[in-house]
Amino acid sequence: MHPRRLIISLIALAACLTSSASGAATADTESLPADSVLRPVNSHFTLSVGRASIINTYLTPLRYHGSSGRVGYDRSQAFRHCPDRLIHTLDLGMEVGRTDNPAMTNRLWRLSGDFTAGLLYRWRLPYSVTLAAGTSSSVNLGVVYSPRNGNNPVAVEASATVNATAAAMWHGSLLGRRVTVTYRPTLPVVGVFFSPDYGELFYEISLGNHAGLAHLAWWPTYFRMTNLLTADIMLGATEVRLGFRSDILSTRVNNITTRVATAEGVVGLGGDWLSLNPRRSLSPQARIISATY
Amino acid sequence: MLTTIVHFVTSACRAALHHSALRMATPLMLLIATVTATSCHSIEEWDNDPTGNFEALWTILDEHYCFFAEKDIDWREVHDRYAAKVSDRMTSKELFYVCADMLNELRDGHTNLSAGFNTSYYRNWWSDYPENYSARLIEQHYLNFNYLTVGGIDYAILPQNIGYLRYSSFSASIGQGTLDDILLYFAPCDGLIIDIRDNGGGAMTNVETLVRRFITRRTLAGYISHKTGPGHNDFSEPFPYYFEPADAGRIMWGKPTVVLTSRGTFSAANNFVSIMQYIPGVTIVGARTGGGSGMPFNSELPNGWGVRFSACSVLDPKGETTEFGIDPTPGCAVDLDPQAALLGRDTILDFAVGLLTK
Repeated sequence: MHPRRLIISLIALAACLTSSASGAATADTESLPADSVLRPVNSHFTLSVGRASIINTYLTPLRYHGSSGRVGYDRSQAFRHCPDRLIHTLDLGMEVGRTDNPAMTNRLWRLSGDFTAGLLYRWRLPYSVTLAAGTSSSVNLGVVYSPRNGNNPVAVEASATVNATAAAMWHGSLLGRRVTVTYRPTLPVVGVFFSPDYGELFYEISLGNHAGLAHLAWWPTYFRMTNLLTADIMLGATEVRLGFRSDILSTRVNNITTRVATAEGVVGLGGDWLSLNPRRSLSPQARIISATY
Repeated sequence: MLTTIVHFVTSACRAALHHSALRMATPLMLLIATVTATSCHSIEEWDNDPTGNFEALWTILDEHYCFFAEKDIDWREVHDRYAAKVSDRMTSKELFYVCADMLNELRDGHTNLSAGFNTSYYRNWWSDYPENYSARLIEQHYLNFNYLTVGGIDYAILPQNIGYLRYSSFSASIGQGTLDDILLYFAPCDGLIIDIRDNGGGAMTNVETLVRRFITRRTLAGYISHKTGPGHNDFSEPFPYYFEPADAGRIMWGKPTVVLTSRGTFSAANNFVSIMQYIPGVTIVGARTGGGSGMPFNSELPNGWGVRFSACSVLDPKGETTEFGIDPTPGCAVDLDPQAALLGRDTILDFAVGLLTK
């Protein structure tokens, strides 16, 4: 498929999913005045540290192991339309990996940034459980660098995907503190990603040969799954986040195989915040709708 | 016990499916589990022992090396011949020399095996030929040790009013301002000699920087063909690449030019000759170049040794390979006469000066 046509199709698909979700939302909020719903933002800054494993056959046939770290920010908020049912999420992060080959004679560095925006439909279940499912769109950009390589020193990670996203939340208490335990998997379903040809040098690309660099991302060529399990513990008005994050990326195109796996412990700080206009009084019917409750 | 577990799981599933949200989520979770289990793409891995490392090396070359056909190499036969020399009881150094000998079968100056104690190198591409260059000879008898040096370039004006530019490695970056200064210095000269004998190559970007001073319009510089798969004949259609003239305001060179070559003119220097030979007013003088038209890739073995090899063929503007070297312009093949050298004469340089002063 021509890359431009593919990108247009993906945008159309994302717009379709978003608009259908919005359409479903409108019915529930019709009865509420526009300024009567307060939607606090639940956000966290996180730091993750853990282990990483990298294979990139464009650079080397060997499996590299080492450490990784990630700085992340996430926020979720009840969506403007149908706030009882829809949650809008944003996640962004920057990850660094430092891995060595089995003989410890070379080091691969990986730097990768990601941005994800999602919209989830939620169901409040008994026993303080909330389930949510929806779609998100991600953009990922990164490089893997091998200092020992001359003409093929880097492999570029670049992708734009539409994902299936879900969340399971449980609200409870632990040692007298309010706790929200959340599990959130994200699974890209379709998109585009970058790959040079099997033996193509970036020098050739720099000379203008841009043919065949964009590829359809779907499970046979591009599989990725991000799992995030967190416990947000309320300490006063602040939430302390403890958790676990894993990211598995596996691609194969042009006879080039890439695998990146990270498993990291997560710590973070966050909480709920609300923007109010001091020149406008709150409606007596005002109601707070949280993204997490 | 087993019956109890089965009963518990069945009840839990039934209870879960009773709720509509879970009824929707269950197929998704099953799908995710299935995809997770099946979607990781397999790769070939080797043991870190002599046999594993040998097989890894052979396979890397088998799947990526780009000149098997041009050199008529039966790589499978090479495997069988050298695999018989590999045993899991051999030392690391013994393995290294077997592997290095196998790589020498490729007759390729871009192919090396690098271990902590040695880097293998196929030297016959130049050692079997006359060197045809003596730096001392020129510096003493032509330049009187009086020349200008900047950014890896030595230059001077010869008594015959010919500019002489010695560029010994394309690894040395050439600044645009530096080139302006040099070409401005040569402006009164009747011709220019670019001496790239024994220039073992370097960065292709420096080739472009230099060539752009000799062209007046967008010029086809050559073609690149890369491997599209592991098969020996899996190559892309040659991609034409072009060089533009230097930016407006830069000093250009349009007078007669001679490029001096020897067997030691290799890789990026060979590429420079492959482009310059078709530029009007440029003559190639000296001996056949050393070739090296495959752009190298790097990879590595389980024991951590590095391997470099030709992976991407660069063709000249006529679409022909220059892996085996480029001949001088017809009638301009000259060797350095050792007897004349003893008397302080560089016969290749003298020939070039004669051409430019005719």
